[in-house]
Amino acid sequence: MLKVKVTQILPNPLQIDIECAPGELHALVGPSGSGKTSVLRTIAGLNNASVGKVECDGQTWFEANELRGVTRSLAPAERSCGFLFQQYALFPHLTALQNVCIPLQNSGLNQAKRQSIALDWLNHMGIAELAQRIPHELSGGQQQRVALARALVKKPKVLLLDEPFSAIDAPTRQSLYKILAELRKELRIPILLVTHDLREADLLADHITVIDQGIGLQTAAPRVLFQKPRNSRVAELVGINNIFEGIFTSGKLSWDRSHHIFNVMDKGKIPPGTPVAWVIPADGLSVHDSQVSDGIPVVVEQISALGQIAVIQLLANNSAHTITWEASAAEVKRLGLELGTKTYAEIDGSKIHIMPLRSINDPRLFTS
Amino acid sequence: MDINAILLSLKLALWTLVLILPFGVWVAHSLQKLGKSKSWIEAALALPLVLPPTVLGYYLLVGLSGKSLFGIPMVFSFTGILIASLIVNLPFAIQPIQRAFESINPEIIEAAQVSGLSQWQIFRLIELPLAWRGITSAAVLTFAHTLGEFGVVLMVGGAIPGETKTVSIAIYDKVQSFDSAGAGALSLLLLATSLIAIAISYGVFGRNPSRRSGWRA
Repeated sequence: MLKVKVTQILPNPLQIDIECAPGELHALVGPSGSGKTSVLRTIAGLNNASVGKVECDGQTWFEANELRGVTRSLAPAERSCGFLFQQYALFPHLTALQNVCIPLQNSGLNQAKRQSIALDWLNHMGIAELAQRIPHELSGGQQQRVALARALVKKPKVLLLDEPFSAIDAPTRQSLYKILAELRKELRIPILLVTHDLREADLLADHITVIDQGIGLQTAAPRVLFQKPRNSRVAELVGINNIFEGIFTSGKLSWDRSHHIFNVMDKGKIPPGTPVAWVIPADGLSVHDSQVSDGIPVVVEQISALGQIAVIQLLANNSAHTITWEASAAEVKRLGLELGTKTYAEIDGSKIHIMPLRSINDPRLFTS
Repeated sequence: MDINAILLSLKLALWTLVLILPFGVWVAHSLQKLGKSKSWIEAALALPLVLPPTVLGYYLLVGLSGKSLFGIPMVFSFTGILIASLIVNLPFAIQPIQRAFESINPEIIEAAQVSGLSQWQIFRLIELPLAWRGITSAAVLTFAHTLGEFGVVLMVGGAIPGETKTVSIAIYDKVQSFDSAGAGALSLLLLATSLIAIAISYGVFGRNPSRRSGWRA
């Protein structure tokens, strides 16, 4: 089990609390510069936080508190991390085989044995025939496999993957997804994956932590994250289009007390009259060409066709609120939607998720 | 042709090389880890580049005069011109190696740390091979520069045949004594040596990092 709970203010803010079980793939998702890589670097010992603890497999790798400062910090070499760097960071003067041999340098094994283990790993990655090539003679995908073999050859206790799929083409990415899925079953170690691609995280991860400005905003299973984001910033970061502000009073949600009142389930935690942020998940919205009960009259304000799908902006009648609807091109054609078309949007109140309304500019407020 | 002068210059260049390269590698590597004091040290090390050789020679002459190393006087001796040569060549030896270390992607060093290598192993297996071209450049520059060094050597060593009279000083002597043919031959030799040295530095070692056979994992 990998446990990371660290805080720091300077030079860059970092406030993370994650746990990752053996065999689990935990994705860290956030915009560029949000501090995702800093988390991996802190785990690997390449950066130190000012306060907190990093623990793996029962062993404390890093510990610091405000009173006594850093009380324990193992060097990167002592931490048993497999780290896949974003740009691979292969040793450019060494062959693929020599690169994979490097972590075994202090293993006590003789050279022949080290080479044999390294070759096994290259074979595992399907690139044994490239063992004698140096990195600049390899394609991006091949370099990445060498880097992955190098990260795993010493049987690390945790695997850290920094944006591993960002610089490779789609077919290579698919084959690496497959390798990763197999490794996960085989290795049974915690795997942390940093990515800015939410679809990728959704596809691969058991849990996702959304990070913004160095702060972990929410950790949840992908499905929960998309349906119940903790706050509007998370909703924004996970790509939910329909985020609104409104007023919530005893099970009734409205945009501004008068227009379009929805019946929404809540746990009774929100005081009456509270301003809230609310989101409509994709499966909570449908559009009809005739009036349905609770349907909101809307006017098509904009249609952006993107190949087989279209993104449609619907302006709710009598209000300044625009609802975004993603539909297939066939659906748009069936409904005969054009600019200015009057139609009806149906919002499923049971799917609406409401959240405390807080300033988007200060993510620290979201952590409570 | 003044064979003694040629042999002496070669001896001086080789000794300078042997002594300055390990020092240059150590200083260049250490400079990377320094903070604010780095620019002052760099400035001090680059001083021989801008200081007139006669000025440097004068200070060395004054500083070393009357002193001896293992019983050998430090001025007007081979030891004296070797010390002078080492000081004059500091920037030529250190700067290319420093640039080479600086050009190594820090992620590569971090990858080596995470891979479990010790600091010494990182230096020996990763940094040194990657800085190899810089070290070669430093060696070639130092060698060629020592062969042609004139002002400092003359100030500290004079022109004692077989002891301190290097090729450059021999050329000067020959011009003074109107031996144009002798001066021309020695000058041509230095020209050719310098050209070959620079060609080696630019050509043979190429511009891309290449497979090195010196190390096997």
